[in-house]
Amino acid sequence: MPETTFNADKIRAIDPKIRRQKLFRWIGKIAAYAVLTAGAVIMVYPLLYVVMASFYTAKEFNESVLGLFPVAKEPTIDNFKMLFMVGLDTATLGYYTNSILRTLYTTSFSCLSALLGGYVFARLQFKRKEALFLCMLATQMIPGILSVLPMYLQLRAMNLYDTWGVYLLLGGGALNVMGTFLVRQTLEELPISIEEAAKVDGANTACIIFRIVLPMVKTIMIYLVITGAIGVWNDWTTPFYYTESQSLQTIPSALTRLTAFAGKEGQLMDYPLILSFSLLVTVPSVVIFFIFQKHIVRGLMSAGIKG
Amino acid sequence: MKAGSIEQRKKKRGWTDPKRALVILAPMILWWFLAAGFPMLFGFVLGFFEWRGINPQPKFIWFENFVTFFKNSLYREILWRTIWLGVVTTAGTVLCGFGAALLMNMPLKGRGAFRSLWYIPAVTSTVAISQVIQIMIDPFNGVLTRIFNANGWTPINFVDSATWGYIVIIFYSIWKGVGGSALLWLAGLQCIDASLYEAAEMDGANTFQKFLHITLPGLRPIVTYIVITGIIGALQIYEPVAFITNGGPQNGTMVLALKIVKDGFFNFNFGMAGASSLILAIIIFVCSASYYLFSKRRANDA
Repeated sequence: MPETTFNADKIRAIDPKIRRQKLFRWIGKIAAYAVLTAGAVIMVYPLLYVVMASFYTAKEFNESVLGLFPVAKEPTIDNFKMLFMVGLDTATLGYYTNSILRTLYTTSFSCLSALLGGYVFARLQFKRKEALFLCMLATQMIPGILSVLPMYLQLRAMNLYDTWGVYLLLGGGALNVMGTFLVRQTLEELPISIEEAAKVDGANTACIIFRIVLPMVKTIMIYLVITGAIGVWNDWTTPFYYTESQSLQTIPSALTRLTAFAGKEGQLMDYPLILSFSLLVTVPSVVIFFIFQKHIVRGLMSAGIKG
Repeated sequence: MKAGSIEQRKKKRGWTDPKRALVILAPMILWWFLAAGFPMLFGFVLGFFEWRGINPQPKFIWFENFVTFFKNSLYREILWRTIWLGVVTTAGTVLCGFGAALLMNMPLKGRGAFRSLWYIPAVTSTVAISQVIQIMIDPFNGVLTRIFNANGWTPINFVDSATWGYIVIIFYSIWKGVGGSALLWLAGLQCIDASLYEAAEMDGANTFQKFLHITLPGLRPIVTYIVITGIIGALQIYEPVAFITNGGPQNGTMVLALKIVKDGFFNFNFGMAGASSLILAIIIFVCSASYYLFSKRRANDA
């Protein structure tokens, strides 16, 4: 239908049906922004609360009325000094170091396991490979709670209960099935030519895995390192079930022992102290998350596509 | 016909090397066995013994623990509660995540920021955040109590009521899970071919029709994954209950995973704890296996 642009534009601008469509679209966008922003505020609020409340001294916290947005009238940064290991008592310093050591150790092993496993399943062929992979996946379907009590009994029998052996044994032994799955998927879509060339040049397997394959899967490895580290950092169950002494506790398990399972009817809890512990657990995770959010979001979505 | 090309593809992909695979995998599998595999096997049989931790000799009692489990009304209640809480939480998380993903999929400025902000709860620690919840609802000195008192209203006692316990637990679980769920839905949405939408628009479809005939069918592959993994996770719900209500007023909000821990570590009833774990494990395994078979059949149809 021949139209001169001139008339058509004028008609579009005036045509009530099109104006109505544009209005709906505009309203839709505003509504979307509103919902997403409201949700974002709700998501962040508890964190915000922890941060704001950490500016309080214990005295002021228990005595003032407090609202939903606690702003301290006598702010102190004593609780924040905890984050930077300033002026900590020995117990808390111990928790902090234990958390860091545990995270480094466990994350290294779990990512190594994912890299090696992913390589083996993606690049090597052997009989019953898929059956083995299926078995590995099957173990993931079994809830962790089944193993907690037996693990406790086993550790007692091995005389490892309440020792560093707990972290050493458990931290290194986890087969990172999800990680292996992701590395395998990523690797299978990448060409094998570089590795073949290296093999022809006489490179051994270790060299191939760490010098050639590792850079190829860098993005997914970063995702695994970050999510693995956050997972171990937040984990309170292993120290809680399998150790007792204060010197072995990590920050989250110390917090759990301080607050959970205990009958606390009527006790006046030292909330700012508890909150600074909470801060200590949560802030590093959130900071790391913010720095690496692109990798995390990308990795999560690729896990969804391949899952 | 197809077999031939798979053979060729396999040959292209890698080299046949069982020895190397063994050298790499064997130590990992052995260590795993020591750190996780053996306890898992042990866990399967623990339920068949009477073992109270005090008398060191466990007694083999066949299925007695399991019979006790299903005869005892407390355990039946806990099992039922675990299931319905799991379903409600999963439904809430999945639906809210779906809605959020639809919004995040729109061409808005700052959608990257929204995706990240919504995911923050997932990286927080339940222990830490439940402190905030405790501060709010503590009946003696909590923030909400103080606000109520300051305004002259009678404070609600959140701790004494199982219903409020459920509400807080469900709300918390959805808060924590929505971000991850939204990201998974987003992944699914972005897999749908954009040209389908364009073609529909040219045929005169409105937003609702596009949603019904392109978006929903396009999401079918990922729906099963999201729902099943959601339910499997939700059936094992433990931390929110442990840290917010601790099983609630007189076991009013007790769930199976928490009961297992209490049986084993606080009451030393190892046999019962083992039996309960096995029952939970079987339920979850059935769900996972169904998902796996269901998705395999779908893949074969496709």
